[in-house]
Amino acid sequence: MKEKTGKREERRNRSLFISIVLVFLILGTIVYTVSRKISEEMSLAAIQNLSESLDLIQYTIEAILRNEAEFQAMIAREAAQADDPEAYIRSYEKNRTMVKLSLILSGKTEGISNDGEPFTEEELDFSAGGTINGMPVSQAYMNYMGTWAYTMKCPVERNGQEIGTLYVEYIYDSIDESLPNGFYNKQASLYVMDAESERFILKPKGMGQRSAGHLNLDDFYRANDIREESIRAEVAECLEEGKDLLFYHDIRGVDALNYMWAINGGTIFLVGYVPVEAIQQEGSTVNQNIFLVVAAMLVAFLSCVALYYINWRQQDKIRKEQEQERKVHSEQLAEALQAAQIASNSKTMFLSNMSHDIRTPMNAVLGFASLLAVDADDPVKVREYTKKITASGQHLLRLINDVLDVSKIESGKVVLNFEKFTLSDVVSSVEAIIVPMAKEKRQEFHVEVTGIRNEYLVGDETRINQVLLNLLSNAVKYTPEGGHILFRMIGLKQRSSQYEHIRIEVEDDGCGMTPEYLETVFDAFTRAENSTTNKVQGTGLGMAITKSIVELMGGTIEVSSQVDKGSLFTVEIELRIQEQREDKQFWEERGISRILVVDEDAENCENVQELMRDTGVCLDAMRMEEALIRLREGSGQYQLVLLDWDAPELDGTRAAGMLRGVLPDDVPLLFLAEYDAEGVEEALLTKNSALLAKPFFVSSFREKIREMWGDIGGDDTKEPGQADSLEGLHFLAAEDNEINAEILTEVLKMEGAFCEVVENGRLAVERFRQAAKGEFDAILMDVQMPVMNGYDAAKAIRRLEREDAGSIPVIAMTANAFAEDEKAALEAGMNAHVAKPLDVELLKKVIRKYVR
Amino acid sequence: MNRKENRKGIGRIVAVLAGAAALTLISCGSRGRELKNLIQEDEGGERVVNLFSPMEKTDPNAENVARSASDLTIAMAEEELGVTVAYKTYTAEDYQDKTYDEITLDRAHNNMDDLYLLNPDVILALGEEGELMDLSGLESAKNLRDIVKTANTVDGKLVAIPQEVVAYGLFVNKDMFDEYGLSLPETPEEFLECCRVFKENGIETPIGANRWWLETFVFAQAYADLYNGGNTEAEIAALNSGEARYSDYMRPGFEFLKELIDRGYVDAEKALVSEAIEGEGEDFLAQKTPIVMAYWGAANTETAYGKTDFEMQVIGFPSSRGQMPVVPITGFGVGAEAEHAEDAAKVLDVITSDEALQVYSETNRVISPSKNVSVECVPALKPLNDRIEEGVYVLGSNAGMKVEQWGNTCLIVRELLGGATVDECMAAFDRLQDETAGGE
Repeated sequence: MKEKTGKREERRNRSLFISIVLVFLILGTIVYTVSRKISEEMSLAAIQNLSESLDLIQYTIEAILRNEAEFQAMIAREAAQADDPEAYIRSYEKNRTMVKLSLILSGKTEGISNDGEPFTEEELDFSAGGTINGMPVSQAYMNYMGTWAYTMKCPVERNGQEIGTLYVEYIYDSIDESLPNGFYNKQASLYVMDAESERFILKPKGMGQRSAGHLNLDDFYRANDIREESIRAEVAECLEEGKDLLFYHDIRGVDALNYMWAINGGTIFLVGYVPVEAIQQEGSTVNQNIFLVVAAMLVAFLSCVALYYINWRQQDKIRKEQEQERKVHSEQLAEALQAAQIASNSKTMFLSNMSHDIRTPMNAVLGFASLLAVDADDPVKVREYTKKITASGQHLLRLINDVLDVSKIESGKVVLNFEKFTLSDVVSSVEAIIVPMAKEKRQEFHVEVTGIRNEYLVGDETRINQVLLNLLSNAVKYTPEGGHILFRMIGLKQRSSQYEHIRIEVEDDGCGMTPEYLETVFDAFTRAENSTTNKVQGTGLGMAITKSIVELMGGTIEVSSQVDKGSLFTVEIELRIQEQREDKQFWEERGISRILVVDEDAENCENVQELMRDTGVCLDAMRMEEALIRLREGSGQYQLVLLDWDAPELDGTRAAGMLRGVLPDDVPLLFLAEYDAEGVEEALLTKNSALLAKPFFVSSFREKIREMWGDIGGDDTKEPGQADSLEGLHFLAAEDNEINAEILTEVLKMEGAFCEVVENGRLAVERFRQAAKGEFDAILMDVQMPVMNGYDAAKAIRRLEREDAGSIPVIAMTANAFAEDEKAALEAGMNAHVAKPLDVELLKKVIRKYVR
Repeated sequence: MNRKENRKGIGRIVAVLAGAAALTLISCGSRGRELKNLIQEDEGGERVVNLFSPMEKTDPNAENVARSASDLTIAMAEEELGVTVAYKTYTAEDYQDKTYDEITLDRAHNNMDDLYLLNPDVILALGEEGELMDLSGLESAKNLRDIVKTANTVDGKLVAIPQEVVAYGLFVNKDMFDEYGLSLPETPEEFLECCRVFKENGIETPIGANRWWLETFVFAQAYADLYNGGNTEAEIAALNSGEARYSDYMRPGFEFLKELIDRGYVDAEKALVSEAIEGEGEDFLAQKTPIVMAYWGAANTETAYGKTDFEMQVIGFPSSRGQMPVVPITGFGVGAEAEHAEDAAKVLDVITSDEALQVYSETNRVISPSKNVSVECVPALKPLNDRIEEGVYVLGSNAGMKVEQWGNTCLIVRELLGGATVDECMAAFDRLQDETAGGE
């Protein structure tokens, strides 16, 4: 297709080129023809012009000659009239034209001249036969004045009888004076030649013309290199017949028009040449101008072509760009379509999965509920069924939460809730969930924390937990029994002093993923295998949610995996460091200034030291042997000793015993150990010792110290069941759903509390307004209700003019379970937020927190 | 957007082009005609000086150094004086024609020209007739060498000033002399010996000659002692008074020439009808003739012997005193009655000024008549130049001698070439000497 288009374009270009060339050829031919025509016409005109000039010179000379002849005839007549003609002649003085007059009387051979000298005709040659007005004229000769002269003779007749002959000598110089002083802008040369002798008798004047070649015709030929026989023959013929001749011949390398112009019937000739350039001066000027015009037109034409070309190029470029854009667009569209199709397929599959996933627990719920009805009298079975119903319900709830989360994330409605937190909390809460799961599958779960400089950070702890739990629960899920799961938290080089740069790695040696699946692992509604045939239960949304959250936090998530070898998820995020630094006071108050860390692993020691660097506490890290020596010597007043329980070459129990042996009793010994470390319980029996769970965090360390130093008051140590008891409390509940209202009422009743339910917010407000002071201990508020929703109701309650309007606890109880819902609830003036479905323990905890 | 802008750009260009075209048309059409006489008037009358000088019949394409040198000085004069120098020339077509000298005399007698380039004999002739202006008042005259003044002073008047001192010598083909193991001849005897060897080696005519310059052999032998013997003035006085006879001086030279002719070293018949250089030059350049005679400038001029395929040397003529240069002084004369005599004298003053002569000599590499100007000569001329620098030479013309030398001797040599005996030639000299004495 492309090839075809290219060929077509090539053909078009070629034909365009040929047309342009053709136009030029035609134009060139026309110009050439016109200029040739002009040249020829000019040349003809020039020849005409030259002929006219030569004619003019010819007529001038002939007129002079005729005048001379007439004057001579007159003198002859006068001489004839004279008594003594010879005396008459002698009396004549020479002038510029007639330089000598002589008379030979009839019958004599010698006469006399006007200068008194004797005169004979001997030296004169009249043989050529030239005449002027019938008077014979001699050949040219060099006269006594050293100049070229000629003589005319005429009879002197008296009474019709010839009495003698009058000879008058004329010099050519007098004719020279009548000739133009150079013509054709002095570029033409003009000689006068005596026809008979072929001698040049008049030559151009001036310096520039002193070149050779003006002696005679032969000399002229030789000097000007005119050797062609044809020309010479033609010239000879002209001389013979007294004709005029014009011919082209180079004169010293210059193209010239040569001429032979007969005067007085061919007795003398005008000979010379005019350079063609001089003749065609106007012609060449015209041609030059034509050339200029043509050149200008050519330049204009080429400019137009160039402009057109540039324009075309630009258009072409734009067109190509547009095409490219269109192509990109269509590609994008195709991709989008594909994505949409995939999404559609995924959603279809998701729906089918969901329908299965939802039906399964729902089936369990309904099934067990019907069994419950049958076995209602058997308390053991009832308990078992309710337990199963609860589990299925919880699974359903997780499913629903995930689906909602994804839809929220996809619609961009997720808002991160930044709060202060410590990494130790994150790790311990994750550990608390994952460790039992791993244990259940008999998997080894390890936590490593290295290179962390700051554990007090700011971020959305819940979301971070969500990410970690997703990754780790997946790891547990997809790793078979007896597998290994490694959770690493690595402090990377900080890019900014205000942010801790953390890499989180979750590695397992589970079933891994195929490369194809890896490509879609982070897409929503996908799962490693179709879950309808898989025992692994899940929504298929976890990874999509994880990736979205990580990216929302400005982090990155990557995965590498090999089938049957395992997977490695890597998350990198930057979290802002809390401004509040480690409180030195805490340690000073407890008199802790030196701590001994006994550890065989140098890296561990470094980690601990790094984390403790801001506490102001001096940390000495050393190996067991060294530590024992140090302690025996009694050097170093340590207020606390930290022993790494998991050091491989160390028997923890024995080590603990040895240390205890050398340590004063009042110095606490802390074992830094994994949650499942063996023998710790036994060691803990030793005096003044405690367990600090790995990984080491300052916050948990502090907590432990506080615990050991007895800081933690009795308030927090009371029995949980006792603490959360709702016995005797009165609640006002706003709930439009009757079932929910009933459940709530029943649950509270079970706890020994009393609850009054109203159907909407307005009624709640009304009821509270009318209530006596202290009638209700708290208000439990649904959010989505007819007439007035929970937020408005809470606001209205807070606005009531009652003493306890501001103080009565208002607790949101809603299926709007997201962080922003909680935020909205707090903003509306409520004290706390409890998500539906109701977690009784959580509700009790919250209520107890706000109700005294 | 882009397309729109392009269109706008093209539109602008078209508008500019159209504007330019319109302006061109307007400017072409609106050329006004001024109402005034369009003939440019001549600024004052043109001052012309007519210069009569010979013209060589030579190849038109060859560079004629002598002429170029002269032209340069003429151009200087034209520029300085604002005059136009118009050249009049004459060249005899063949030996039957009137000679340049004859024409010069005729033209000078009839005041046809203003400035003449004159040969020594014509200088003397016209000087004696009073046809030439006294040039001793010119600035340039003050710089002249004595030899020039001596040669060109007639009746106490300096009548001609040359642009170069023309020295004649023998132009020899050194390669050919070397080929036959010959050294360059000093004396007449040695010269004859050289000719003999050449002749024997198949060179038919060892000496190329023309009808003008054979007399130099005669002068060299005749006046070698007179000019170099230390008694010049007395000897000339004796000749002028008639106590000594020219024929006595001339005889050895003529006999020598006669011997050259008789032995066939010179082709008398050909020489008699040959013009200078034109006749003998071709054979010399073609290395058919080892010896010719010519003037100094011929060694510098391409149109003469300026460019040879062999090593050429210019030596003096054989004499009893060794190689002898012959120096006839030529010069420019101004017609006393010439139409533009005053301007002609001014032109002459410029073209013979030190400045002009420097240019002339540098272009032409000749001996300058000004004692203030000297240039180095071409290598070929060195032998001749050395002799002149030594002060060894004879004059080919001397206005102090009552019998004109250069022209008369030439004519009498022609008689010898024509078959006259040496005695007849000597008789001619005696007759001339007697006529001159009788005239007085």
